[in-house]
Amino acid sequence: MGFHHLDRYADAGGPLARLAPAARVLGVVVIALGAALLPPGAWPQMTALLLLVLLLAVLARVPLAVFAARAAAPLALLALASAAVLVLAPGEPLARLGPLALTDAGLQRFTAALGRGAAAVGAGVLLVSTTRFPELVEALRELRLPAAVTAALGLAYRYLYLLTDELERLRRAAASRNARRGSAPRRRLLVALAASAFTRSYARSERVHRAMLARGYTGALASLRPHPLERGSALAVAGLAGVVAGIVAWARL
Amino acid sequence: MAHIPDGFLSAPVILGSSAASAAMLALAARRSRDTLQERQAPLLGATTAFVFAAQMFNFPLAAGTSAHLLGGVLVAVLAGPWAAMLVVFAVVLVQALLFQDGGIAALGANTLNLAVLGAGGGWLVYRWAFAMLGAGARRRLAAVALAAFVSALLTGAGVALELSLSGVVPLRSALLVLLGSHALIGLAEAALTVGILAAVLRTRPELTPAADLPGPAARRWALGVGALALALAVGAGHFASGAPDALEVAAARFGLHEAPALLATPFAGYEAAVGGPWLVGTVGVAAVFACGWLALRLLARR
Repeated sequence: MGFHHLDRYADAGGPLARLAPAARVLGVVVIALGAALLPPGAWPQMTALLLLVLLLAVLARVPLAVFAARAAAPLALLALASAAVLVLAPGEPLARLGPLALTDAGLQRFTAALGRGAAAVGAGVLLVSTTRFPELVEALRELRLPAAVTAALGLAYRYLYLLTDELERLRRAAASRNARRGSAPRRRLLVALAASAFTRSYARSERVHRAMLARGYTGALASLRPHPLERGSALAVAGLAGVVAGIVAWARL
Repeated sequence: MAHIPDGFLSAPVILGSSAASAAMLALAARRSRDTLQERQAPLLGATTAFVFAAQMFNFPLAAGTSAHLLGGVLVAVLAGPWAAMLVVFAVVLVQALLFQDGGIAALGANTLNLAVLGAGGGWLVYRWAFAMLGAGARRRLAAVALAAFVSALLTGAGVALELSLSGVVPLRSALLVLLGSHALIGLAEAALTVGILAAVLRTRPELTPAADLPGPAARRWALGVGALALALAVGAGHFASGAPDALEVAAARFGLHEAPALLATPFAGYEAAVGGPWLVGTVGVAAVFACGWLALRLLARR
């Protein structure tokens, strides 16, 4: 697997990519929370929020076709997941499909979920398009997440590729020794591979631990390229939060 | 749908679940730092990489379906519950931010369902079942199987509760759909967790510390908790018996109530001629517990 598997979409330049990574993560959270706070049926406000996300996409210099292509799969999954709400929510039946009744409340919740989901997914696509994994870890560190989580993610990013390459070698070795087809042998093989993945990653963690101790590790991982939340990025996030809060207030008041 | 996408949860649910998750994660971070010390970073990093890699595998199951490992209970048994909660949170966080799998506003709820209830709750079930069954390699695996199954159910129950508290779907239909689907997920999770754990312990038996073997005190605790659960189940059965159960509600929704023969059970409608609801509830709960216990013992002996 290529070393850039997790970062292959982080190709956008533009002003958004120059903001501090913590500001980009905060921006996504602000948009997702704003969308969640819009009541169902607030269509002008939802449209305004979606237009705001599109404006940010233009600012990030993500071509709209690329933006739509990257948002399509999560949105299709969201539509599939929320389809159950159409018939499960109690309300006035609008149409009947055999034993299932499509209700008005169900339709309203379905469309509201799609609108909110579209805003959050759009913001997430912008984050993915501008932010590489190490920058994301740096942002989480800047946002004061537990050091255990950020250290785990930073090291996991480093070792995931080694682990998947090891697994690929194991899989090829099994295949070359006539690992049989069919679901039961394949399941046994996959369980053995997964167990081997665990023991190998555990053994690696022991080796890494000894190596870290040998280099004077005391329990804190230092960042080589800290990118703190400087004033410009903080102002940008504050501005975005103000606009989103305005849209929510317009819908709620 | 183990990962709730954005668009479903209401503001109070987002706030409450985020606060609960944040508190549990802060506790987990402190406790795991105390127990693992400076071994923590490499161990959690390697385990997180493993969970990422393991979730890429699709294990073929019956009838052309496949499942992937959730891994909460597996990591909890091998690296401890606090480490497992942190690892599952790290995975959920990256899935939400980079893969749009699970919502960003719903991150607190998803963390609560998968890391706190799934990994932490699953670990509690593992300790309880292991103490009830007693020490032994096969008994450990049986306890892990139960824990993995129940952890999937706990996750499903969490999702159902959050969705119904947000006013998306009524609690009964949410529980019916989500517990039903998560029971299947739980069976796959139990099989995978036991298979992987057995293989890991075969090659690296020293990975499970002897210190976690249940002693007599743990057994007394487990018996007490089991008796309390039994009493609660009987009581809940008594209070619930007046209201229609989830199956009946679903049947009415889907227009199936014209076919009662399909759903007829002994004690139908809980209106037994003798003994009243208390006896019926006790018999029912005892039957469920006996079935579960028998299955566990058979699994442990095999």
